[in-house]
Parts: sequence; C-alpha cells; structure tokens
Amino acid sequence: MNDLALNTPEADAGLLTPRRALAAYLTEIRFEFTRLLRNPALLAPVTLVPVALYLLFAVVIWGDAVAKDPGTAIFFFAAFSVMAVTMPALFSISSSLGMEREMGLMRFKRAQPAPPGSWLVAKIGCGVVFCMLAYLPMLVAAIWAGTLPLDAGQIVSMSLAMLVGAIPFCALGLMMGSLVKGSAAPGYANLVYLPGCYLSGMFFPLKESMLGQAHLWPQFYVNQLAMQAVGITKPYFVSMQMAIGALLGFTVLFSAVAIWRLARKG
Amino acid sequence: MNTTDSQRLHALDAVRGFALLLGVAFHAAMSFLPGIPPGIWSMVDNSPSAFLGDATLVAHIFRMSLFFFIAGFFGRLLYHKLGAGGFWKNRGLRIAVPLVAGWVVLFPIIGLVWTMGIAKVFNGAPPAMPEMPKVPGAFPLTHLWFLYQLLMLYVAVTLLRAVFERIGDAPKQKLRALVDAGISAALRLNIGVFTFGIPVAAALMSLPFWLYWMGIPTPDGSLIPQLPASVGFFTAFVIGWLVNRSGDALAIIEKKWWVNLVFAVIATGWMLHTSHATPFAAPGTTKTVYAYVFGVAVWAWVLGLTGVALRFLSNYSAVRRYIADASYWIYLAHLPVVAALAVWVGHWPLHWSVKYPFILVVSFAVLFLSYHFLVRPTFIGQLLNGRKYPLRKPRQDPAAAPASCEGGNDGSSVATLRNISKKYGTTVALNGVDIELRRGELLAVLGPNGAGKTTAISLWLGLTEADSGEVTLLGGSPLDIQRRRGLGVMMQDVEMYKELKVRELVALASSYYTNPLPVEDTLRRAGITALADKAYGKLSGGQKRQAQFAVAICGRPRVLFLDEPTVGLDVQARELLWLNVRILLTEGCSIVLTTHYLEEAEALASRVAVLAKGRVIASGSVQEMRSLVARRQISCESSLSVDEVRGWPGVIEASRVHARLNIVAADAESLVRRLLSEDPDLRRLEVREAGLAEAFTELTKEAA
Repeated sequence: MNDLALNTPEADAGLLTPRRALAAYLTEIRFEFTRLLRNPALLAPVTLVPVALYLLFAVVIWGDAVAKDPGTAIFFFAAFSVMAVTMPALFSISSSLGMEREMGLMRFKRAQPAPPGSWLVAKIGCGVVFCMLAYLPMLVAAIWAGTLPLDAGQIVSMSLAMLVGAIPFCALGLMMGSLVKGSAAPGYANLVYLPGCYLSGMFFPLKESMLGQAHLWPQFYVNQLAMQAVGITKPYFVSMQMAIGALLGFTVLFSAVAIWRLARKG
Repeated sequence: MNTTDSQRLHALDAVRGFALLLGVAFHAAMSFLPGIPPGIWSMVDNSPSAFLGDATLVAHIFRMSLFFFIAGFFGRLLYHKLGAGGFWKNRGLRIAVPLVAGWVVLFPIIGLVWTMGIAKVFNGAPPAMPEMPKVPGAFPLTHLWFLYQLLMLYVAVTLLRAVFERIGDAPKQKLRALVDAGISAALRLNIGVFTFGIPVAAALMSLPFWLYWMGIPTPDGSLIPQLPASVGFFTAFVIGWLVNRSGDALAIIEKKWWVNLVFAVIATGWMLHTSHATPFAAPGTTKTVYAYVFGVAVWAWVLGLTGVALRFLSNYSAVRRYIADASYWIYLAHLPVVAALAVWVGHWPLHWSVKYPFILVVSFAVLFLSYHFLVRPTFIGQLLNGRKYPLRKPRQDPAAAPASCEGGNDGSSVATLRNISKKYGTTVALNGVDIELRRGELLAVLGPNGAGKTTAISLWLGLTEADSGEVTLLGGSPLDIQRRRGLGVMMQDVEMYKELKVRELVALASSYYTNPLPVEDTLRRAGITALADKAYGKLSGGQKRQAQFAVAICGRPRVLFLDEPTVGLDVQARELLWLNVRILLTEGCSIVLTTHYLEEAEALASRVAVLAKGRVIASGSVQEMRSLVARRQISCESSLSVDEVRGWPGVIEASRVHARLNIVAADAESLVRRLLSEDPDLRRLEVREAGLAEAFTELTKEAA
C-alpha cells in the first residue's frame, strides 16, 4: 500500500545484515562480561555478604525455628535470596552506569552506530548473571547446611524465579544510573533496597493495613513468585500470572525511562 | 519533499502498519469475548477473557478511524503527486483489484472456516443459518469492507474537489487559508479532540439499537453506505487530507502527543467504566454522553498515536519499513487464518492467556512467511506495495572496498547544517549557522571556547536536535542509525571502558559497522599495534587519544569527526595522525576537524569555517582566510624604540622581544623603506604573510 517509495539508497547501504546485528549484540555482551570478570573487587562483597548474612540468621540465630518448620526455612531462604539478587542489580549496575555516563561513554555510544538495544541487553544480561553469582553461593550454603527442605525440582523452580526476578531490578538499576551520578547512585539505591526488603513483607508477615503498599515494591512480586514456584500458597496475595505480569510491567517501565533518558542526555 | 517530510512519512507508514496489524490482534481476540453469541464469530472459546473484552473495546474505538485518517493524508499526497488520472489508476490497482480479487479468493475460505467452527460450537448440529436479510444492497463484504469504504471516500473527495474548483479564485484562496488556519488552531488549542468527533457522535445517536461495545458499527453487510461509518470515516479521511494540506499540523500533532494520549486514557477509562455498568445504550443522557465521549476518544487516540509515531518513529528503520510493507498483505489475508486457529484451539482445556498468544504467534508466523516468500518478491507485492523485492540482496565483496567507502572529491556535500539555531536555556549556542562539508575535503572548524563548535558537531552526530533548521549527514538525518554507520568520531572528554584492552575496544566498535576494517589493520594504521594488549585504563593521555583515533577509523568511515584530536599527543604521534588524516582524505573520506592548534588546521584543512558567538563569521580556503587580513609581519634587529615605530602611519602593532622588533603592518613595502632609512644598522630583516593565527585572532576580536 506504500505509494511513496522513499528513496533511501544511503540508508540501505548502512543496513546491518541480521548476522552482523546478532554479532554486534554478542560482542557487546561478551565485553560486558569481560569487564565484570576483570573487576574482582566488585564481585567479592556482593557474593559474600548475602551468604554470610543468611548463615548468620538461618543457622546461628534462628536455627531452631528453621529446623522445626520447613515453611519457615523456605520463607527465610526466599527472603534472603531476594535480598541477594537485588543487591548487585541495584548497587553495582546503577553506579557503574552512572559512572559511564559521567565519562561521556553513553554519549559516545550514541554517536557511534551502536545498535540501540545492544547495551541494554548486555547490561541486563550481565546484571542477571551477576545476580546469580550472588544467589548461587547462598543456595550452595543452604543445601550444605541442610536448611533448605526442597527437592531438586523445587530448587530449580526457586532459582528460575530468582532469575526472572533479577531482570526488573537490573532495569531499575539502569534507570537509576541513567538519572543520577555514579557517586550518588548507591544512596538512591538504598532508598529502594532497604525499605523494599521490609515493606514488601518478605522478612516478616505484614499487617492487613500495610498490605496495600506492598504492591508498590518489586521485591513483593519476586517473593510471591518464588514462594508459589515451590508450591507454597500461604501467605499468598497475588496469582503467579499477576506476579509475572507485574515484574514484566516494572521491567518495561524502568527500561523505558532509562532508554528515554539516555537517548536525550547520554 | 525535504528530509524532515520524508522522515515524517516513515512515521505515518508505521502508524498505518500498526492500525492494520492491530486489526489482526483484534480479530484473534473475538472468540474469547465474554458472552459473544454463538454464530457471530467462527468460534466461541471455552476460556472467555474479560481482559481481552476490554482490550478489543479499546482497540475498536480508534483502529479504523486511525487507518482512514492516515489514508486521507496519503490520499492527498498521492493526488498531488500523480494528478487525478494517475491517482485513479493507482487506486484502481492498489485498492479496487485487491478488493475484488481478495473477495473472490477469501469469501469461500471464510465461509468454510465459519461452517466448521459453528458445527463445533453446536456439537455438530448447527441451527439453520439465517438468510442474508432481503434488503437492497445487502452483500457480505467481510473484512474487505474497508477497501470498499476507501473507494467511496475517494469518490466523495474527488467530487468535493470538483465542486471546490468551480468557486472563483479569490474566494477559493480565502477558503483555503481559512481551512488551514482552522486546522492548525484546532490542533494547537486542543479543540480538535473535542470537536472532530461530534459528527460521528451525532450519527451514532441516530441508531435505534447501539451496543456500546460496537463503537462505529462495521459496514460489512451492505454495498449501500451506512450512516455512522460514512460520517465517522469520512471525517477521519477529510481531516487526514487537510492535515496534509496544512504546513504545520504534523508538527503540532507531534508536539501534543502526550496531551492527546492523556485525553485518550481518560475518555477510554470512563467508557470502560460505563460499559461495564450497562453494555446497552438506552436512549437518554448516558447514551448522549457516551456517544460524545466516544468521539473524543476516537480523536484523542488518532492524534495521540500519530503524535507518538511522529515523535519517536520518524527515522528510517529497515525493520519497521518491512513490517509496514507487509501489513497490507497481512491484513488482507489474516481473517481465515486467525478464525481457523480460533476454531482449532476453541475446545482445548487451556487458559486463554496461553491460547490467545498461541493464535497470535502462529498467525503472524504464517502471514509473515507467506508475505516474505509469496508476496514480497512476486507480482502480488508489486500490486499491493508498488514494488517487488528480490529474495536475496546482491552481496558486496568486502575485500574490494577501500578503507573508506567512496573515492574522489566531486564537490557534493556529505554533511550540512542549514540555518541552524540552538539554545540551551537562554544561552544561544548557534544562531542561523550554515556549514557544509563536501566530499573528500577536510573542513577545519575554528573558534574560541564557547563559540558553538561542539554543539555543531553534536548535531551532526545526532546527539542533540536543533531548535530550527536542517541537519543532514550522508543524505539523511543523523538520527538515523543507518546514516551514522557512515561516520567515525573522536570526541573530546570521552573515556572508554578502562578494563578493556585496546584491541577489544576496537573490536567492539568494529562490530557496529557493516563493513569494518580487520581489527589488526585498524591497529596498524593507527600505529598502536604495540599497545593492543594493554588495558585502556593503563594508557597515557596521548596513547588514549591514539586508541580513540583507532576506534574512529575502524568502520571505514565516509565522514570523520575529529574533535581536538591531537591534544596531549607527542610530536611523533601527532605526525602519524596527520599522515593518517591525509591518507583518509586521498581515499575520499570527508573530515570535520576542530582544533585549537591553528598550525594543524593550516597543515591539513582544505577549508576553514570560523565560529564565534554561535555564528559563522568567516569561511573559505586557508589562503582566502589569510588574505581576509591584509597585513604582514615584519621582524628585525633594530635599535629603534617601540613607541617611536608605533607612531608611524600604517603600523598596526609593534612590540619588542629582546633585540628583535616585531611589527604588524598593512603596507609592508613602505614601512620597510622607512625602517631602512631611519636605522642604517638594522639587521636580519624578515617579512612574512600573516598566518591563520593572526587572521583568526583578528576575526574573532571583531566578532567580540
């Protein structure tokens, strides 16, 4: 139905073949990983802190309660997992993107013909792996300490829920990194991180009157998703579809703000 | 048609594609509507969805009006491009032939699908199908009614034009101006949203039986024009036509995208709320208000979505273009496919949230594949889209390409800024600037700090948008990523990933280009093979600039932007960079260079443009720039006092450095005669032309 064939020979000459476009995405992801691996200083705290905290609470302090009631044990594990997964996403991604922006790198990337989505995919992809690096040691420690009464299938489901749950937090990290300076990012990340841990009701059951606001925190949905993934339906406030839908919504919203902001400011 | 216009056409193409593809999603949802009576659609699914019910109601508000609005816009464009005869020939081929041929092919298939579906719904014992009502003109147009409607609208608008042409010239001009001003004002003041829908609301009011959900009742059962559809779609079509007439309507629609979407969301929210309460409109206040709000919602969506496309989808995208091309075929062919899939999955014991996406994925796969292989490369594609595409593109041999793509300096421009103005808050960065970069030349952009050099380059790189004026890069907008694939850039104040090695940085940058140099070649050319395995963070300032230069040239750029490239380089590295720049020039690359080192511009530039306070105060060859300042420098060892020499006629400036007396003068010859006669002991006399440095100082001093 196109009546006006627009002449764009120059544009045609500049098209990436699908194979080259895929290669561009893969190269971006590969080097994002390389950078992550060359920054052991960044990895250490994020992978060690959650495991240490989990062992402290689940084994040392509340060991009895955890040993007595499988529900409590899973509740604990899920809560600490969400905490572990959200930490690198919020803190590392936001401050690293903030710093890259200060260095003018995002501006430079815009001037270069980098495929518009490649950095987003690379950053979220790497962020998810980073989150898993924080989660897996905890998982291993919990299995080793015998504080996780789940079978293999349930462990896989729980881990998948964490993997999915990491994505909106990576997007949130990107959004914060796109809005504030690298040095200010951890401060802002804390505004979401700590209140989110408590107000989402994942560490202790919330009063009826406080349930409404819990829906504002992505942590709430990740926690709900994780609990239902292993078949625990109480306490249970939203359906699995709803939790996935909400997390998808958060991801789209946060990424859209980040893309919008970076497209203007770099 | 200038670049901005053609970019806008990309956006409108995208809107039309969206409206058509939305139709596929709409029809795919029909079998899931809660409470849909059996027989209306091919299937009644066992997992109805209230969500899809609401979604279809929303989509149905605007999708056809949006389509006819865009059709009106392109209709006028085509009419003026081809003339009346050409227009009708074109429409005959693109619209009338698909209508007739499509109906002949599709109707029996649709009939078959429906028969199967209804048999399934009634467990093999369907009631007798009602006969077509015995009213004049009754005809099952199916979903192809939109083509029939479109043809009628073309007839109507042609007749209107014929009447209009009979008016005398003076009143005609007056009427035209009035209509243009009216459209602009209606859009600018948000009046249009609240008034364009009044005719269709009135037509809907006249219906004795109106289900809210139906919106504008689909005129698919009769050849005789139906009132609400004719009024509603005619309004949309004519306003699209007039928007095309108006000079600034698209710009206003673009600017108001979010305002209109806010109206759309509010109006739609109210409609959903009301239709949940009472789905059927009994005559009365509610019906009147509902009809009016419906009209508002139609136009808020039409203008809002068009605005979104203009704002965000104006640049050329191969993917969007492909989808827009495919959408016509897909819409023509989709109905039997989605209806058959609905019949197939209708009794599966699965939730609609699984079945609906399944129908969409499978039907889009089938439809896009059929488009790609059966339509795009064949006469059907020629008929529907006016163009056939071969299945495979001829491959380019990368080895045969030189380091930059095109050779020779043929004087044509590869990048331009035309009448550009740009403000940051109240600070004017550029004010009516015209700069042109010709193929194969090096243009040095000079100017004091804050003159607007970096802003000019940012515009060319697509990093900022001008407030007014036109920016082109390689024949299009630099916001197009395809254009930017032809550029290389070295920016100021940019750091790269410090953890990555130089080789990795070059490899990453190379991955963005269609036909980059091999990484080793890039490193060799930039003279940094020895640094290849060093982390960027460990390089010295000068080495970092060299690495950035490598990144700039790795994609065989046709246009290269070098912003202060030699700051911090040692003499050797600078010589190497200069050499590289000269090689690139001989290969046909065009280069924009900003620099503070005037000798650099003098050594490399074919042309110079001097910016000061956001304006181009001079431009021309280095030679021309020098001669702009008709003065020369005289230097000698003499015992004459500076103050005495300063008093002589023709002396512009005099100063002493140790034994040497330096004089700047307009008429060097008479001054030299006088110097020699006044000081017989004068020694080591030198006279030279003023350099670019003097010219630059003088020019920018004047501008200040």
